[in-house]
Order: sequence, then structure tokens, then C-alpha cells
Amino acid sequence: MPCDFARSAILSICFVFPILTPSLSLVAQQEPRESVQATPENAIDRWNRMSPEERERELAKLPPARAKLIRQRIRRYNQMHPEEQQALRQRYQTFSQLPPAKQQVIRERLREFRQLPPARQPVVHREVQQLRRLPEPQRQARLNSDDFRGRFSPAEQNIIRDLSTYLPD
Amino acid sequence: MNCPTASHNPELLVALAAGELSLDRAQEMERHLAECPPCRIAAAEQAAVWRALDAWDAPPVSVDFNRRLYSRIDQGAGLSWLQRLAHAFRSMPLRQALPLSATACLLLMAGLIAYNPIHPVPAAPNGNIVRANQVERTLDDIELLRQFNSAGSAESAHPDAM
Amino acid sequence: MGAVAITLDYDAELMLRVKEGDGGSFAILLEKHRASVVHFVYRLVQEQAIAEELSQEVFLRVYRSRSGYEPTAKFKTWLFRIATHLALNWLRDEKHERSQERLDDVTADLPARQVSDRRPSVEQELVYEVRLEEIRRAIAGLPEKQRAAVLMHKYEEMEYTQIAKVLGCSESAVKSLLFRAYETLRARLAHMEPS
Repeated sequence: MPCDFARSAILSICFVFPILTPSLSLVAQQEPRESVQATPENAIDRWNRMSPEERERELAKLPPARAKLIRQRIRRYNQMHPEEQQALRQRYQTFSQLPPAKQQVIRERLREFRQLPPARQPVVHREVQQLRRLPEPQRQARLNSDDFRGRFSPAEQNIIRDLSTYLPD
Repeated sequence: MNCPTASHNPELLVALAAGELSLDRAQEMERHLAECPPCRIAAAEQAAVWRALDAWDAPPVSVDFNRRLYSRIDQGAGLSWLQRLAHAFRSMPLRQALPLSATACLLLMAGLIAYNPIHPVPAAPNGNIVRANQVERTLDDIELLRQFNSAGSAESAHPDAM
Repeated sequence: MGAVAITLDYDAELMLRVKEGDGGSFAILLEKHRASVVHFVYRLVQEQAIAEELSQEVFLRVYRSRSGYEPTAKFKTWLFRIATHLALNWLRDEKHERSQERLDDVTADLPARQVSDRRPSVEQELVYEVRLEEIRRAIAGLPEKQRAAVLMHKYEEMEYTQIAKVLGCSESAVKSLLFRAYETLRARLAHMEPS
């Protein structure tokens, strides 16, 4: 009967709509979570706005293993909690506005930081944060102190010195 | 070599016309053709067939082929749900259907208020192509910054790197 | 299990990623194989609209069967098996009446130009059309499996073993199909002057 079918269709839509909205579609699987667009777009934001075909065309230019890794990393980035993602985007935005030479110094020191033993990372991190809050003369005095040199290895000293100098808030 | 025509083995003739023979084999075949009129005729005919087939170009694929395909993929996923639910509710009497539909509508409203659905981001304009290595560098930098800040928390950095 | 090391072709690896939910890999496979499939199906059924419709169905089936995909053969073999199956089914459903109608109507589904961008004279255009029609008729006149085998061998440059897997027969059966087909085509097309 047409009436029964119409009723069924309306009921179906009521049940199906909230399920369909998160989308089973191929295209929607590629789309990022909605994030607060308070900061200017970075390359990942612009990448997410490209069509799937455009993205795949770019990825196809890379070796398959590397392309696969990039896809996975973008997926993880897009799946981050919106607040965490937004905080990262803001930190990156500040970082990317630095002169390229300073960016490169920070990159190198952060890579070295990443290589530190896990137990040392919080200690070095804490020292960087404390030094960043100090006025410049006091910061320099601390960096040159025997206490500082005694607590940190030469490699750690370099990391702390440069990150406390250049790393933006 | 065995004469392809005499041995009723046209494989070599076909392979010659298709350019599938190695240089040595092709030269051996050419020497045979010089001495064997039936094979020479058959090879010439096969080459003519090959050239004729070469002339048959297929039309280009429609520019909206992909769009239509993806549309069918999306529709296929949705229709199956609709079809199943329509079938399930087809025979439900109205006195059961009304409270059920009212509940469903309330749930739908609550879901839309509380749930933050994925909004497809509008496609970038054509000129806004980002290179994959650009994205990779940005990911590298963001990951470095994230790991540094994570180190400051009581827990260790998240094991899943970006 | 007496495992034999199988080196997956890259397309099979991509399809396995599709199985894991990677839609981007499906897009790559589509870009790579779309033209081949459409052209192959076009030459089988000789109607562009039908060819595109059937080709979409091919990729739709590839996508829908992703969860159960196992790389037991090359991806292209599997893809063309689906395409051949759908196209031959369509041909059988349409039977010979439609083929005959299509061949009688010289202008049906014939794009304005099917070769490159050279601008021919009217006479050259007519000669081209006549040649093309002979080729189409010759191919359409082949039994379906012979037709599919020739198209895969000629235009896809597939080896006998691969064609055999697509058609579900032995390699020797494929050779037999092909050589009978070429024999027929030689009889019908060998007189054609080179363009």
C-alpha cells in the first residue's frame, strides 16, 4: 500500500539520517574532522581541501612506501582531538613565521631532543621552559653557570640554549 | 626452424606481427620468410591485420566518469540501508509506528545538537595544489613541536607518531 | 603450509590497502586502469555509453568486494575477468539483433574522430570511416571469447597465461582461440590498404 510505504520511508529516513550523516561515502572518509579555523591555513589544511583525485595525483609522484606513510600521518593528524589539533596548529603557525634560518635551528635541536633518552626529555624540557621565562641577562647567567654545565651534557646544553633562545611560545 | 605454415603453428607469425619475438628469433623468422612463400604471405597478412587494428582508437573516457562512479558508490551505500529499513517497517501498524517515529525524531534532534558531524570541507580552488613533500615537511615540523611539548607532561610522549 | 613466496604486484598491494579502508588507493587504481577497462569494453560491445556504464559496474564491483579481496592473481587479471564477464553477459543479453542494428547504422555511437587531432580531408574521412567499419564488423563477427582474447592480446598486450586466467581456460585453449580469430581477421582485413 502506498501509505504504508510512505510511512516506512519516513521512518527509515528518521533512523537512517543520523547514521548517514557521518557518511559511509568514499569521499567523506577522506575529509578531516571539523576544526576551529582560528589560525591561517597550513599546508595540511590546504591538502585536506584538495579533491581526493588531486591528492592522489600528488602522492603518486612519490615512492609508494613514502606515499603510504604520508597518508597514515595525515589520517592521524586529522583524527586528533580538535582542541589538541588547534593548539598544534597555533604553535606551528608561530614557528612558521620565524625566519627560515631560525626555523632550521629549532628543527635540528628538536630532532636532537627527540633522540635524548626518555628519562632526560622532561628534564631538558623543564629547563627550556624555565629559561624562556627569564629576562635575557639572567638567562645567559644561568646558561653559563657551573650548575647548568654540571647538570646537562654538552649536547643537552646546546639543545637547551637554542630552544630557549629561539623556540616561540 | 619448423615452418609455421606447414606445421600449422601460427604462433610465431602472430608473435612476429606483434613484435613479441626476441631479436634473434625475429631474424631467424625473417630468414625463413625469405625462403617460404606461404609463410611470407601469412606474415604479411598478419601484419596487415595488426596495422588495421592499430587504426581502431577507442573514444576518450567521459570527463565525469569518476564523478558518476563515486556517486554510484555513495548511493549504493545509502540505498541498501534505506531499502532494508523500509522493508522492516513496511508492515508496522500505525499505533506502533507513531510513538516509534516520535522517539526517532527526538533522538535525531538530540543527536544533531550533541554530535559534531563531519562537514565535508569545500574543495580547494584549482590553483591551490599542495605538493606531497610540502605536506610531509609540515607534518615533520608539527610532530617535532608536539613531541617537545608532550615531553613536558607527566606522561611520556604518545607512542603513535604522526 | 608449503608457502611459495609470492611477490604481489603493486596494484594488488593497492587493493589490499583499499580493503583496509584506504579510499585513496582505490582512486589510484581507478586512474590507472579506467581507460584500459573502458576501451576494452568499448571494443567488445561497440557502444560507448554502454561501455562506460559497464565499466562503472566493473569498478563498483571491485570496490564493493574489497572486504573479501585476496590477491590470488594479478590485479589486472581479476579486473579484466570482471570486465569480460560483464561485457560478455551484456552481449548475450542483447543477442545478435542489437549487434546487427548497430552495424547497419554506420553513424551509431561513432565519435566524430577516433584518432589523433589531424584534420583530414573529406575523402580521407570517408576512407577512414569505411576502414573503421570493416574493422568493427570483423571484430564483431568473431565469437565472443575469440573477440575478448584478441582484444586483450592486441590492445592490452596481455600474455597467453593472463588471458587464460581471465577467460577461465587453459593456455593452449587461449592460443587456439587467438589463432582461429586471427585467421578469420586475416581473411577479412588483410586486403585493406595501409593508411
